[in-house]
Amino acid sequence: MTLRVASPVAGRVVPLSEVPDPVFSQAMVGPGVAVEPDRTAAEVVSPVDGTVVTLHPHAFVVATAEGAAVLVHLGIDTVKRKGEGFSLHVVKGETVRAGQAVVSWDPAEVEAAGFSPICPVVALDATAEALGDLADGTAVTAGDALFTWTR
Amino acid sequence: MADDRPEKILAALGGADNIVEIEPCITRLRCELEDGSLVDEAALKALGAHGVMRSGNVVQVVVGPEADTIASDIEDLL
Repeated sequence: MTLRVASPVAGRVVPLSEVPDPVFSQAMVGPGVAVEPDRTAAEVVSPVDGTVVTLHPHAFVVATAEGAAVLVHLGIDTVKRKGEGFSLHVVKGETVRAGQAVVSWDPAEVEAAGFSPICPVVALDATAEALGDLADGTAVTAGDALFTWTR
Repeated sequence: MADDRPEKILAALGGADNIVEIEPCITRLRCELEDGSLVDEAALKALGAHGVMRSGNVVQVVVGPEADTIASDIEDLL
């Protein structure tokens, strides 16, 4: 099956290699893309239909019923914000639909605090060959397709 | 977790006495250690770590999305 992975935020899609964090730029946990988010307060939406299996204020993982897990990370080193500026709309274990709001944040505020607000979206434990139709270089709004994941 | 991976990861980090703090962050364990040179990088990779990043006594072990579980299991061993 081919899974459509939607953008959690509005912004410009860039290669994962541009993320200033080796875990993402070297695809240590999986391939994907990153979104350089528009600098306006916004709701971050789920990239797929599934269950919120991991939830932090600054990052979350949604796993589909088939076991495909997509990681969304809001900014780099933003764990150090300790949740400040992030407002959760779901709880861990909750079932969500693609496009459903998971958390609200303000990329401009994150940037002003000295962090990169770039958002890696990673197909966990996937191979690079499994991803297709990467939206690199395009502008997206939340919910637009970022890539497909063939499993 | 039923396996002994947390225990082995702890050993590869230099043991409980070497741990100042362990903080999970989605995909990685951020470890502040007494002595970063005690880390056995090869052992961590053999245990499934995708990568190990060192910066002095702060060592980040990329373990994947199980980081939260592994960190809490390690905390239980301290």
